[in-house]
Amino acid sequence: MRIFANYEKGEAVRFISHLDMQRLFQRAFRRAQVPLAYSQGFNPHPLLSFASALAVGYTGESEWLDVRLERPMELDAFKNAVNAMLPDGVYIKQALEAPQETPTLTALTASALYEVRVFLKTPLATAVLQQGIETLLNGEIIVKKKTKGGDKMVDIRPQLLSMEMTETDADVLLRIMGLMNVYGALHVGLLMEKLVETWNVQGTWRVHRKEIFFEKTGVLPL
Amino acid sequence: MLEELLANVEKPARYTGAEMNMVVKEDAQVHFALCFPDVYEIGMSHLGSRILYHVLNSRDDTYCERVYAPWPDMEAALRNAGMPLFSLETKRALGTFDIVGFSLLYEMCYTNILTMMNLAGIPFRTDARGEDMPLVVCGGPCTCNPEPLADFMDAVMLGDGEELINDLVDTYREAKRQHLSKRELLKNLAKIEGIYVPSLYEPQYQAGRFQGLKKLESAAPDCAVKRAVKDLDAAPYIGNPIVPYLNIVHDRIAIELFRGCTRGCRFCQAGYIYRPVRERKKDTLLRQAEQLVGCTGYDEVSLFSLSSGDYSQIHGLVNEIIDSMRQQRVSVSLPSLRIDSFLKDDLEKMQSVRKAGLTFAPEAGTQRLRDVINKCVTEEDLLRATGDAFEAGWTSVKLYFMIGLPTETDEDIVGIADLARKVSRLFYQMPKEKRGKGLRLTVSASSFVPKPFTPFQWAPQCTMEELRRKQGVLKEAMKGIRGAEFNYHPSRLSILEAVFSRGDRRLGEVLEHAYESGCRFDSWSEHFKPEEWDRAFTACGLTLGEYAHRERSLDEALPWGHIDMWVTQDYLKQEWMKALQGARTEDCRKGCNGCFGEKHADFCQL
Repeated sequence: MRIFANYEKGEAVRFISHLDMQRLFQRAFRRAQVPLAYSQGFNPHPLLSFASALAVGYTGESEWLDVRLERPMELDAFKNAVNAMLPDGVYIKQALEAPQETPTLTALTASALYEVRVFLKTPLATAVLQQGIETLLNGEIIVKKKTKGGDKMVDIRPQLLSMEMTETDADVLLRIMGLMNVYGALHVGLLMEKLVETWNVQGTWRVHRKEIFFEKTGVLPL
Repeated sequence: MLEELLANVEKPARYTGAEMNMVVKEDAQVHFALCFPDVYEIGMSHLGSRILYHVLNSRDDTYCERVYAPWPDMEAALRNAGMPLFSLETKRALGTFDIVGFSLLYEMCYTNILTMMNLAGIPFRTDARGEDMPLVVCGGPCTCNPEPLADFMDAVMLGDGEELINDLVDTYREAKRQHLSKRELLKNLAKIEGIYVPSLYEPQYQAGRFQGLKKLESAAPDCAVKRAVKDLDAAPYIGNPIVPYLNIVHDRIAIELFRGCTRGCRFCQAGYIYRPVRERKKDTLLRQAEQLVGCTGYDEVSLFSLSSGDYSQIHGLVNEIIDSMRQQRVSVSLPSLRIDSFLKDDLEKMQSVRKAGLTFAPEAGTQRLRDVINKCVTEEDLLRATGDAFEAGWTSVKLYFMIGLPTETDEDIVGIADLARKVSRLFYQMPKEKRGKGLRLTVSASSFVPKPFTPFQWAPQCTMEELRRKQGVLKEAMKGIRGAEFNYHPSRLSILEAVFSRGDRRLGEVLEHAYESGCRFDSWSEHFKPEEWDRAFTACGLTLGEYAHRERSLDEALPWGHIDMWVTQDYLKQEWMKALQGARTEDCRKGCNGCFGEKHADFCQL
């Protein structure tokens, strides 16, 4: 049986990495006695994969994982058993059954919506903030990307689908839509570094992924 | 505030806690901070801390929280922000705890203890701490010679902690109830068997040599005797252990088969200070394994002891545990296997286990030297064990040795290469169908450090120059061995380890100097600052040589002479004499060797 589970990575576990999340889920499944399916070969591991990794420091309210079971289980029973074994900050919101032949979640992702809260050391006027956003949207966004071969200068503008700002009293809130598919994904951290640099101010930010969007399938909500 | 700090340090999950099975308590009369003076990933791998966490939190009146040494980036961030070091469970400032307990596993973590105390606002020296400061205590194997830390510790716990820690907390509570002064509390603690209170004694020196301790309090015991738990089956274990998010060093369930060791290898401190051997019954272990797998979700169980092959029911245990764990897809690993107790059939059962690689520790290159150190394994044992392993499909083997052992000659060093060459030949002479593809034979050596409470506690340690020369000899001899790789890097760290493990109270000042000049995480090569340590010794008018390289005479006063770990000094002297003659001592399962003298006859089950 193949289950696509929609889950939240919340505040309490914000600082754990994607690999930590993988281990976390594996152990929770085992505690809940979910009949996991394992790979073949000398080093069998559970058949568990994710739509997209969430970096250390990021939270996500609608993340997706793909897990195969050896025998079928009631979706509600699965969700409740696993939630009872998950630590604070992680819980499964929904579990769906997927046909065995569905491609991997990574192959299916199309884009993602982020909410980024920015805390500026010195407050700026709305017009100035808006100007900075316009500048990035209207031109290239060249950033330094770390690759295996060394540092490369790349233009990440093509991965940025949209960016709009709503300002609250204390801080700036951005809604950012980024590409996220097999050809590339928006690097939100590098984008934010560039934006804050363009604003010529010191600031920190918190990234929260609101939603992951998929190519059309019969299974996943769009 | 904390958020901002965490966003800018490496592996923030080291400091955030909130792991599965972490204990949360609302009310407690005693707040105990269990401190491990190394980074989270190391501290969380320590089994003893897990046991104490469970024992303390099982008490209704006590809440035990964990604190680990902050990595240098976090230390800097805390100092910049003016924030104190805090516990993982509730982020409580370390200085506000009632009792602060440090686990002493390795002498080269001592600077981290000072860092943690400083970041908590706790004065280092016991006589500088007022009535409102936490009680600072310590436990763990290094307590068999606690003198280098004696000026900083209010009380030292010797031996097994499961029962002793309850006695300590009970005495603490009673003292608070009676509104006793700290001095009164310490005098009461000193009455507990297993507790040593350094401030009740003053070390005496003459011509730069330690002469003994003078009692400042007539009621103080002449000797501090360790505690040992008699019945490990009944003793508490680790309860529902915390499951970390981060990848820690030992990321699996550990089942402790037995404590102590009967082999009597003369370099091994643990084998002596954890005597007598006390085993857990097979059924206890099977039950524990089931319970621990169920409440953690781990997929690997490790059978843990000083020499697992010696466990009296090892074959039954291995069979049953592999069967019971197999259904849940839990693999079983069996480290700490002596070459001469190698379990071929059990190995085959462990086929399902990842072939991570096998490790054997012959320790010395010739039979003569192996007999001197009483690790009497033979060349035949080694070839049989590696041969069995190769036939079972293993291609990766690690061999551990020590350089600088007492009576060692160049012939012994070259002997290491000879052994490696024989193992390599054994592999490549097997027909290709019977063995794996290519051999990965790693020969790893470390520098011998003489330890207190071993027969070698009087032995001089080799100097750096000597160790480097020996490295050269071995490197030359290892050339051209097919499939073999050689790892040996003599380090000044081993010299410092030798100094602190056999040092006296004067080293407290050296430690403070080293800490002030920025020494931290000394056991991590990227942080080790040997020049600062040299400066610290010079500033205090002491030398490394007088502690590490000097041969001690049999009748000189030893800084740990007032500590009783049950094995007698007479027995150790006897063993030292036998070592120098290359005479073996048998495994005491075959017949008592009298290591406790006349005492503790009722305790030793063998």
